[in-house]
Amino acid sequence: MKKSILRLQVSIICISLIATLALAGCSSANKEKPKQDQSAAQEQTKTAEKSAPAADKEKAEKKKIVFWHIQSTGNGPKIIQNSVDRFKAENPNVEVEVVPLQNDPFKTKLKVAMGAGNPPDIFPTWSGGPLYEYVKAGQVADLTDMMNKDNYKDYFLDGAISMVTFDNKIWGVPVENIAVAGIFYNKKIFEENGLSIPKTYNELVDIVKKLKAKGITPFALANKTKWTGSMYYMYLVDRIGGPDVFKKAATRTGGTFEDEAFVKAGQMVQELVKLGAFSDGYNGLDYDTGQSRTLMYSGKAAMELMGTWNIFTVKSENEKFYNENLDFFPFPAVEGGKGDPNNVVGTVGDNFYSISKKSKNPEDAFKVIQFLIDEESVKERAADGKIPPIKGFKPENPLLQRVMGMLEKAPSVQLWYDQYLPPELGELHKDTCQALFGLSMTPEEVAKKMEEGAKKFFGK
Amino acid sequence: MSFLKWNGIDPVKEFIGFENWFELLKDNIFRRALGNNFIIVILSIAIQLPIGMALAVLLDSGGRKLNLFKTVYFFPMLMSSVAVGILFKYVYDPQFGIVTAFLNAVGLKRLVLNWLGEPGVALYSVIAVICWQYIPFYMIYFLAAMTSIPGELFEAAWIDGATRGQYFWQIVLPLLKGTVRTAAILSLVGSLKYFDLIYVMTEGGPVNSTELMATYMYKNAFTTFRMGYGSTVAMALFLVVMVTSILVFSITKREERG
Repeated sequence: MKKSILRLQVSIICISLIATLALAGCSSANKEKPKQDQSAAQEQTKTAEKSAPAADKEKAEKKKIVFWHIQSTGNGPKIIQNSVDRFKAENPNVEVEVVPLQNDPFKTKLKVAMGAGNPPDIFPTWSGGPLYEYVKAGQVADLTDMMNKDNYKDYFLDGAISMVTFDNKIWGVPVENIAVAGIFYNKKIFEENGLSIPKTYNELVDIVKKLKAKGITPFALANKTKWTGSMYYMYLVDRIGGPDVFKKAATRTGGTFEDEAFVKAGQMVQELVKLGAFSDGYNGLDYDTGQSRTLMYSGKAAMELMGTWNIFTVKSENEKFYNENLDFFPFPAVEGGKGDPNNVVGTVGDNFYSISKKSKNPEDAFKVIQFLIDEESVKERAADGKIPPIKGFKPENPLLQRVMGMLEKAPSVQLWYDQYLPPELGELHKDTCQALFGLSMTPEEVAKKMEEGAKKFFGK
Repeated sequence: MSFLKWNGIDPVKEFIGFENWFELLKDNIFRRALGNNFIIVILSIAIQLPIGMALAVLLDSGGRKLNLFKTVYFFPMLMSSVAVGILFKYVYDPQFGIVTAFLNAVGLKRLVLNWLGEPGVALYSVIAVICWQYIPFYMIYFLAAMTSIPGELFEAAWIDGATRGQYFWQIVLPLLKGTVRTAAILSLVGSLKYFDLIYVMTEGGPVNSTELMATYMYKNAFTTFRMGYGSTVAMALFLVVMVTSILVFSITKREERG
């Protein structure tokens, strides 16, 4: 007995000792890490310099640009490589290292690289909160002068430029794609059931009820991914209260997340949930692995609210469905709502390329970016089914023409909330929105939680 | 780092003392994650070890002719957790999944649940997959220990007229005590720091119902730009793992020596 007490005492002492050691070790190790990385990087460059033969002096003087991108699917990498090759042909003294990365690992990698003081010269973002976070941390080069030179910025859609404008300065170049959210639907199911495109929310609810009675799931939704459900909420808020409600709440300029429009939108989402508007188990389905699209393809679901990248995803996954069944309509108006039904939720640029402040050759980096969106690449992107964010672009694909039409008519383009908000609040929005869909929080609770989070984050 | 307020990219790190730790103590999601971790610990030990043991006994007594099964049962262990996660996302699909199809086929339609979409169910759906994945490991582990028991003991017991049950309970199990204890600790530590499978299958959702300490740490550090708080969660995870494993180790050791 005595022995065991002794052993217990010894083990407690051991625990506390190890714990303090680990704590100390942990903190110092973490502090040293960036330094280590830096020195490792320096060493690398040193050895690189050493290994370069002295005779090859010209090569050693070559300027180097590191360029990260995440266009890893389809023709994406090829289009980028073509642009870079064109740049290289005109600028033989600059070497460009193109690093293609996967979407999610990229986010982590960029953060670590920034934190370690070893960022790439050119990197993509989705603008919004995360980019602003880097801007505030002093990691992004101010591109205003370069964009204003020769009125280069007028080449782009105004909406696209405004997405990368913070504190009246331009921090990125819109390049890749315009994407807005619309309701995709199965033409055949609509025809067979005598349904017409809804102009108002009440008409949409009628359609939901009719489809439900026929045993067809009205909306395919894969909400494990969270931003998918958020699209319904964003549109409802916009239609009920107009775009200013969110903008004022998110920028803390006289608005609040407890505004009636947020609560009402939450109630409408839950009304749809209770009507059985969404596919079974929606909160556990994954958009990335296609669990909502298979519902559309198999005819089990009639509609899906999704970004217009869906057009080409469907085309490549199921061409037959694309040719015979796929169409889309804009999100309907809400009766008595203040928002213009022409407003859209989406992004005018999709990937924006920024230059890091630590870059030694920002001018050359900017030139590389210009090659990414020159005439030649615009053609290649268009052929790939994308809508480059430049003025006067006319896509050939009829569905894309309608997307362009929607965008031209739109008095406001609301960037996805989770991208617009600072990352911490963006996550809170996605979590609370998922809870809304899961009926585990009331609309009032969600509104309150968002407001509390915003107050805590902004301190007002 | 857990004493800093840092977003992971800013050169400036603000020292805020124990503020992160106070927040952690008040954080409902962390508490839930901790609770989920312990549910996994308890169910893992309660399900994986006995089934692993039963399979091991079966294979041990079956001798050579069951060698094929050894390979088949061991198969899940050879797959990466990420692959298992993606596979089971389809298995659990509420429209097209095998589970749903099976329940429909045998006329138990009312038992069909939203396996990964219902906050109350998701955690247990995931635990079932974890068990499926790790039972083979314990099976092989126990099987290896059993083959090291000398055959004479079995012969002696048989001559003394012991039944198979008596042989197992009175000879095999006592001899495997140390092995079982190590297996339990392995399972405990593994369950506490569990991450990949859950992250692939549910990302801690829906509504944080399958959040674990490790997934919560990842989210804070890398998705919401709160490196300091993420480190605090990591530190807490480390402390919890260490304290519980040392406690369990000392308790089981004491029991062993009487």
